[in-house]
Amino acid sequence: MRQFLVGAAQRIIKGSPLYYVWVVFLLAMITVGIVAYVRQLQSGLIVTGMTSYVSWGFYIGNFTFLVGVAAAAVLLIIPAYLYDFGPIKEIVIIGEALAVSALLMCLMFVTADLGRPDRVWHLIPGLGILNLPSSLLGWDIVVLNGYLFLNIFIPGYIIYKAYDNKPANMNFILPFILLSIPWAVSIHTTTAFIYNGLAARPFWNASILAPRFLASAFCSGPALIILLFQLVRRYTGFHVKDEALFKIAEMIAIAMAINLFLLGAEFFKELYSDTHHLSPMEYLYVGLQGKGRLVPWIWTAFAFNVTAFIIFLLPFTRKRFITLNIGCVLIITGIWIEKGMGLIIPGFIPAPLGEVWEYSPSSIEILVAMGIWSIGALVLTLLLKIIIPIELGEFTRSSNVAREVASAGL
Amino acid sequence: MTNKIAICLAVLTIAVSFLGIQLHETRICVAQSQLDSDEPTGKIQDSSEQEFPVPLKPLSKTISPCRACHGPEKDFPVNFKRREDLLVHTNIKLNHGGVRLWCLDCHSPDNRNLLLPLSDGKAIDFEHSYLLCGKCHGTKYRDWKYGIHGKRTGFWNGAKNYYLCVTCHDPHSPRFKPLAPMPPPDKPWTPKESAQRK
Amino acid sequence: MSEEKTKEPGQTSELKVSLDPASSQEAAEGKELINRRGFMQGTAGVLAAMALGSCSWQEFFQNNFRRMTKGEIEQTVERLRSEYKQKYGKDFVVDAEGPIDGTFFGYALDIQRCIGCRKCVYACVEENNQSRDPQIQYIRVLRFKDGDMDLEHSTIYYDPEEVPEKGYYYLPVQCQQCENPPCTKVCPVQATWTEPDGIVVVDYNWCIGCRYCMAACPYMGRWFNFADPVIPADKVNVNTHYLGNRPRMRNVVEKCTFCIQRVRKGRYPACVEVCPVGARKFGNLLDPNSEISRIIQTKRVFRLKSELNTQPKFYYFFSI
Repeated sequence: MRQFLVGAAQRIIKGSPLYYVWVVFLLAMITVGIVAYVRQLQSGLIVTGMTSYVSWGFYIGNFTFLVGVAAAAVLLIIPAYLYDFGPIKEIVIIGEALAVSALLMCLMFVTADLGRPDRVWHLIPGLGILNLPSSLLGWDIVVLNGYLFLNIFIPGYIIYKAYDNKPANMNFILPFILLSIPWAVSIHTTTAFIYNGLAARPFWNASILAPRFLASAFCSGPALIILLFQLVRRYTGFHVKDEALFKIAEMIAIAMAINLFLLGAEFFKELYSDTHHLSPMEYLYVGLQGKGRLVPWIWTAFAFNVTAFIIFLLPFTRKRFITLNIGCVLIITGIWIEKGMGLIIPGFIPAPLGEVWEYSPSSIEILVAMGIWSIGALVLTLLLKIIIPIELGEFTRSSNVAREVASAGL
Repeated sequence: MTNKIAICLAVLTIAVSFLGIQLHETRICVAQSQLDSDEPTGKIQDSSEQEFPVPLKPLSKTISPCRACHGPEKDFPVNFKRREDLLVHTNIKLNHGGVRLWCLDCHSPDNRNLLLPLSDGKAIDFEHSYLLCGKCHGTKYRDWKYGIHGKRTGFWNGAKNYYLCVTCHDPHSPRFKPLAPMPPPDKPWTPKESAQRK
Repeated sequence: MSEEKTKEPGQTSELKVSLDPASSQEAAEGKELINRRGFMQGTAGVLAAMALGSCSWQEFFQNNFRRMTKGEIEQTVERLRSEYKQKYGKDFVVDAEGPIDGTFFGYALDIQRCIGCRKCVYACVEENNQSRDPQIQYIRVLRFKDGDMDLEHSTIYYDPEEVPEKGYYYLPVQCQQCENPPCTKVCPVQATWTEPDGIVVVDYNWCIGCRYCMAACPYMGRWFNFADPVIPADKVNVNTHYLGNRPRMRNVVEKCTFCIQRVRKGRYPACVEVCPVGARKFGNLLDPNSEISRIIQTKRVFRLKSELNTQPKFYYFFSI
């Protein structure tokens, strides 16, 4: 084990100039984020744009988006492990690494949003009180940490076996893999239920919310994975078959179709019944009482999503990397707007007593969020730095030992 | 003519000699009784029609100003004729029940220190003015007894200070007077504003 | 419940403890907890020191109010008193008094009487030590046009010379003290709960500041201290309750408690006492002769957003 860690550390330290530039850049961003967060700790959440009217904002929006990214790892698990779809199986571990970094970002975003991070121990059952079964936030903490464990444990086991040059014991690991599938669904469903269960907020209090969450998660997560794999393919010797990427793109097309259908269903219900439940949607899409800071954003998201859907639907554009990548960027941006700010903010507007008070993130919030994204990117980079050589068979126990011996010999 | 001069003289005399009392009378009429003290005044006896924990002395008993002018032995005989000119009572703007009500609809013509009696024939003193109010305003009176109408302070499970009808409603012009409101709330802050504030 | 509670309301000891003394078991649990906590102190302590330099050990490890033993509550109260003394230069009373037996509080507001003068808003701020900057006001007075009760058409920023204004009516809204409160249900750490006398309270020292309760409340009855609350030392109310108006810290949620520090001593809430038109009524729902019970029996009452089944103990009524 020690050997593995030392070897891994060595691999992290060494890299191309581009790698150093990337890591230094991330570290700089992280430093800025930490400085911003310290300011927030010192002054209180007043440095954010949040008010008693809009009491959740940018942090929770990013959290929601990232839960979707993390949940999407299951999309790769199902065909890879259950149906033994060869091309995807090779790359599923990388998808799970993405899930791990996304989950870490989720937890950091929630922590950044907490007023009293010094009291998080109150959440630890026994020591504190985790309010189960009634608090959905309590459940979310359970399922997110459980999912984090599964996503570290499963690929960790497989990778470590690969490092040892031994085949993974499927009888041992398969139950965990099977468990992780409903678990992935549960993290996103539970996150949706956090908002969904609040009768005070009609925008969220629609049963279509959880299915829509899943559908949109299965768009943005895999799109991120397609881009990630192309990067990995370019900068490492890791081989990813085109076939696998096209397969993922196909899944995105299906998920996007469902997402757009559900959005249409929501539109119909609200517009046709035309009750006060329409107000938040009015605020989001056309503005309410002369206020509509989110209007340009949500139409951008809508245009992006529809364009991306067409790109992913047509084999002609899906199977060309230029259009495929444009589609991925569009879909990630589109879902980030729609499932981030576009979901959280209108929940608070109009306020339960009717007032329209808008929100936009403060510079502190944006800097902290950038810091957290950078930490996620750094974690992912470092994980890949270890995982890929193992997958390629470059970094194994025997090679490691050989190298150690060699370096000792020198 | 002589009559009018006599009245003017009388008014002057009275105005000078009873200046202090006049002031008190103003208080009586506006009925700004001293309710600021938090002293509990007694227990509610729900069954009794008469006894209420009202503020002990809305009017001082030692002052009997009305009889100083009004009374059989005084210069002003009882005049049942309704008239606009209320002479010295310039502070009174009568606006109670439209044109139906007038002074002697409430004040006892025989003894101006008292109010008209209930059916028992016993005149009502100012401390129990609510009994007279209740003659017309029966439902309000009932609600007031139970604390639904009007205001009580003190203890929700014990002694209460009742505010009399006349504490809030000037009996001569009972409509509640408008107030200047307290300032509206601040608009929610933005980070920029809070930075400026510091 | 406890023998202490048989005392007359009104004459209260400063430190009456409400924990059910069927709680020798609870005390044992508490001890176990302390052991467990001691075990964790090493690691958690480092984190604590990192997180908040200013926060004391005792404050950091303070237990949830409902899990504290009588002794722990006494210690906590003493600590708070010295903290407040240091901050405001005054001697504070910090009650931890439990509910009076046989009480279940209700509130009624006569919307036909309310003139929208906002005296209640400011009496509440002073009584309950709410932050003046940033401003926290538990009561919002909504103004509606006659003939309309659409919340989206209401305003709280009206500022005429005199109230009431012709053509408008007013509807003050504060915590509705729901019987089926959405806010306590969602709290991930049980930092907020309904007391046996029906008051929904917050343990300010247990709240983690996630603001989920604020998202859940349909009445905007909850407020968050986005910054260190500012209360002028000469304006601070020193008669406080642990679960009520004791000074709060930043980044925690607070709310109306029916003036728990007053009503548990038999007194009316501050907003009731200040209302110049007597529109505000308070009392014991279990007493059929209380004004609140009489109002519910004899008047037309309604509850705000009753379709949400929150079952407020805050009624609005028409006096005529």
